[in-house]
Amino acid sequence: MLLRTKGKPINIETHLVGKVTRNPDQLDENSFLLIDSSISELPSKNYMGVLSRQDEYEVKNGEYVVFKIPTLDHLTDGDIVSVGNDGNINTLYRVNSFHNTLLATERCNSNCLMCSQPPRDKNDIPIHYQIHKKLIPLIPKDCFELGISGGEPTLMGDLFFDLLSQIKTELPATEIHVLTNGRSFAWNQMAEKLGELDYRRLMLGIPLYADYYQVHDYIVQAENAFYQTILGLHNLARYNQRLEVRIVLHKQSIPRLTRLAKYIYKNLPFVEHVTFMGLEYIGYTPHNIQKLWIDPYDYHDELGEAVEFLAGQGMHVSIYNTPLCVLPERLWKFARKSISDWKNDYLPECSRCSKLNDCGGLFTWNLKKHSEHIRPFTA
Amino acid sequence: MPFQNEIKDNEIIVFADTSLFSKDSIFKCLYWYGDKFHTNVSFADSNTFRVSVKPISTNRLSQQEQENLLLKLERDLVDFNLRDIVTKETQNVRDLLIAKAFSNGEFDELPPGDVSDPVGFNVNQLKND
Amino acid sequence: MIDAKPDRKSRKFREIDQFDLNEKSQYYLLPFRFHRITDEKEIIVNEVGDYLTLSNGTFERIVKRQLDKEKDAELYGDLIANFFISEEPIPPLIDVLATRYRTKKLFLNYFTGLHIFVISLRCEHTCHYCQVSRVTQNRDLYDMSIANIDKGIEIMFKSPNPHVTMEFQGGEALLAFDNIKYAVEKAERIADEVGKGLTKVICTNLALINEEILEYCKEHEILISTSLDGPKYVHDKNRHKPHASSYELAIKGIELSRKILGHDRVSALMTTTKLSLAYPVEIIDEYFNLGFQGIFLRNISPYGFALRTDKSKYETEKFLTFYKKALDRILEYNFSGHYFTEDLAKIFLTKILTPFNVGFVDLQSPAGLINGVVVFNYDGGVYATDESRMLAEQKDYTFKLGTLDDSYNDLFFGKKAQEIAQLWANEALTGCSECAFQQYCGADPVHNHATQGDMYGFRPNSDFCQKNMEIIRYLIVLMESDNRIKKIFESWAKTATH
Ligand code: SF4
Ligand code: SF4
Repeated sequence: MLLRTKGKPINIETHLVGKVTRNPDQLDENSFLLIDSSISELPSKNYMGVLSRQDEYEVKNGEYVVFKIPTLDHLTDGDIVSVGNDGNINTLYRVNSFHNTLLATERCNSNCLMCSQPPRDKNDIPIHYQIHKKLIPLIPKDCFELGISGGEPTLMGDLFFDLLSQIKTELPATEIHVLTNGRSFAWNQMAEKLGELDYRRLMLGIPLYADYYQVHDYIVQAENAFYQTILGLHNLARYNQRLEVRIVLHKQSIPRLTRLAKYIYKNLPFVEHVTFMGLEYIGYTPHNIQKLWIDPYDYHDELGEAVEFLAGQGMHVSIYNTPLCVLPERLWKFARKSISDWKNDYLPECSRCSKLNDCGGLFTWNLKKHSEHIRPFTA
Repeated sequence: MPFQNEIKDNEIIVFADTSLFSKDSIFKCLYWYGDKFHTNVSFADSNTFRVSVKPISTNRLSQQEQENLLLKLERDLVDFNLRDIVTKETQNVRDLLIAKAFSNGEFDELPPGDVSDPVGFNVNQLKND
Repeated sequence: MIDAKPDRKSRKFREIDQFDLNEKSQYYLLPFRFHRITDEKEIIVNEVGDYLTLSNGTFERIVKRQLDKEKDAELYGDLIANFFISEEPIPPLIDVLATRYRTKKLFLNYFTGLHIFVISLRCEHTCHYCQVSRVTQNRDLYDMSIANIDKGIEIMFKSPNPHVTMEFQGGEALLAFDNIKYAVEKAERIADEVGKGLTKVICTNLALINEEILEYCKEHEILISTSLDGPKYVHDKNRHKPHASSYELAIKGIELSRKILGHDRVSALMTTTKLSLAYPVEIIDEYFNLGFQGIFLRNISPYGFALRTDKSKYETEKFLTFYKKALDRILEYNFSGHYFTEDLAKIFLTKILTPFNVGFVDLQSPAGLINGVVVFNYDGGVYATDESRMLAEQKDYTFKLGTLDDSYNDLFFGKKAQEIAQLWANEALTGCSECAFQQYCGADPVHNHATQGDMYGFRPNSDFCQKNMEIIRYLIVLMESDNRIKKIFESWAKTATH
């Protein structure tokens, strides 16, 4: 799925954020008109600008323009884009997707071996914040769920809380899912501030990879991260925050996985959801694949015991990113079709599979590195 | 080893080095013998406790019973001494733990380590703090 | 300094040994306790009830600092992760441990929840082990007066607990059904006014139950708790009723009650007597066949009339044998896919396997008396527990807190209450203080007093200690030796908390 494109800018000085439409009647001051081929006459309304595939463009009313864009096929009426003075057009929000995510920052205080979106040490927080500030009011009020990810969003500091409170005001009916390593919340004031927002639609997804600090710290490549994350989870629970614990399954996390499940039940019984996630072959993972790879087929026992223990104790458990054919059947009821539409794909043999409709398939990038045990069901 | 553990006249006698065994642990151990035995602790010399148990009942113990009892007492003394070490070494943490448990977080420790990224983040510089 | 920037700017990956916070392998002990559970295995239990089973000699190696971080890597990790040792004098997660400790003692926050109203001492049964009741028509002497009911209700609603339970006991409570109706309606009105939760329970042998009473119970959401000791030949011997079968009446009563109130609004309590000891399997089968989801294998309490009746005396050893046979039978049902629990085990297992606790009067520390339960006797006496009022029937008023004419504060915080409070916590009792099962067990000063003549008690020959220590040990050995049993026990523990 294409999420960015580029053309030649005219008149653009700062980042613009607006909705796109092909229908001139829908235009307003916050929207761009998409022009796929030539257009006889520009509407006379007040609107933000024009995004065009045309090779030439003649400015009429000082409108903002990007032209000579190779394709606009990936954009649907109602999608929201940011347009930079360099002519970059990034899709920020897709109206037909259930998986919209705001990227808070690419900065991070951890450096996980299997990070899918490796961090960058550049302060991009102000620019992302400015863009999101403009974006949020444009998001449809019936947006069901919105993710916030990074990098590590809490590095935004005060802006993190500003962002959340803006979303809470603008999108009161939307479920918000924030991915954070939770370490900052070890400092009570962070958790307390979040508590003050009193945001019941907010859920924090926090990764935890072992019950023993050294293993977790190694996986996330940061000293004291384990202790900070556990303290963070406890502080957040103190302010009644809704929490999800996320476990990525790989060679480093599997050996203590069943112990981790017990640890979660004993020490974090307040978490609302525990998710076990297959490894994504992207970001740092290909580089560290020797340290990380274990065929999902080979950790059935550990995964099964961990999942069934937690579920048996009444906790809500899910398995993400794992095709049905590499899971024992007794675990199918925990498997979710979790992979966002634009990252989702199947292998050629899947077309013959009778479970194709129930199966969450693979990450596009995992087509290159997948279990040796993908076998279509034939029945 | 000048003193040998022994069984004499229906009495089980065990010697314990005062530098290795605490007095407390010996009494805690003998407590559990108190329903069926007369128990006694004294000094064999300045470095050695003499610990003995003798059945209250007048029925004599069989040879086998006596030997089992000797073994049990020896093992119990070791176990209770180890327990006593844990109790004493951990008394302060335990008190702290209970004090914390009945507080409302006002005595929380500072988290360990650093939370910044290479660009620089200071968790203590939030506004309105 | 947490605000200093890290010197490490590089994002080069480092190996696992570089994340060891303690390369010297020095460690500190955290509070925990030790017990030998079999010839080969020992157990250590931490301050919040998490346990690890270890092979013999491991405890000694831990205490003597003989662990090798590399060679014993798995064990070392387990000990750190489960709060047995720490690499810092004060463990980095001590505040998490403290929160868990508080969760385990949470029942303290609520204070008295269960209020027993001995609504009448009269009974139409003459059970041979019965501890208190009287066969008589004399209502004035043996029924709780309206004035006392009023005072009891008033005191009940002074409890800081947001949810109170009002339980009517006898004698046979239904002999005073009119008074129960009065009490229920009055308590309901007040509960509404003050916004407290109210659960109502009638304990009855069901001999007098009828549709009219049950319709009333249905309308007022009253639970029925009855007695069933096992098959007819056990029950009728235990519970003598002149000219009738107590068993037949109980079974008919259970059926009728279920029909009108719903299956799970009716529970049954079983008391083990000397006779029962011969029928562990038959008793379990009886409960199972009657459609109960579990049974509580209680040993008969040593109080009151029971103490004097030779017929009902039996040794703890025999009870334990009985208990294990019965538990085996229960496990067989579970192996074949049925859900059927033993409720004493369920209480222990909840403490052993979950981060929560259960407020069960006999098995908590601080003890459940006064802060978990209080008994208003028919004559206006206020007692610390059900057992205390039975002692009073033998003129032993040790646990009489006062009368319904006393103020709430005098009753619950008065001299008597404080005297008992000294011995509330098993953490401070000789024997218990270093017992590995302390977190799972409890303190029962009333029992100590009744059986051993003093509230402090003497563990080496206490039947309370002997019973709990062996059952807890047995449960742990069972689940450590058979994973199927562990799964079953985990499922029991779960339902005790959710
Ligand atoms: S063969 Fe393909 S569609 Fe079928 S279960 Fe496996 S991954 Fe899913
Ligand atoms: S009563 Fe016995 S089993 Fe219970 S805590 Fe005390 S010593 Fe342990």
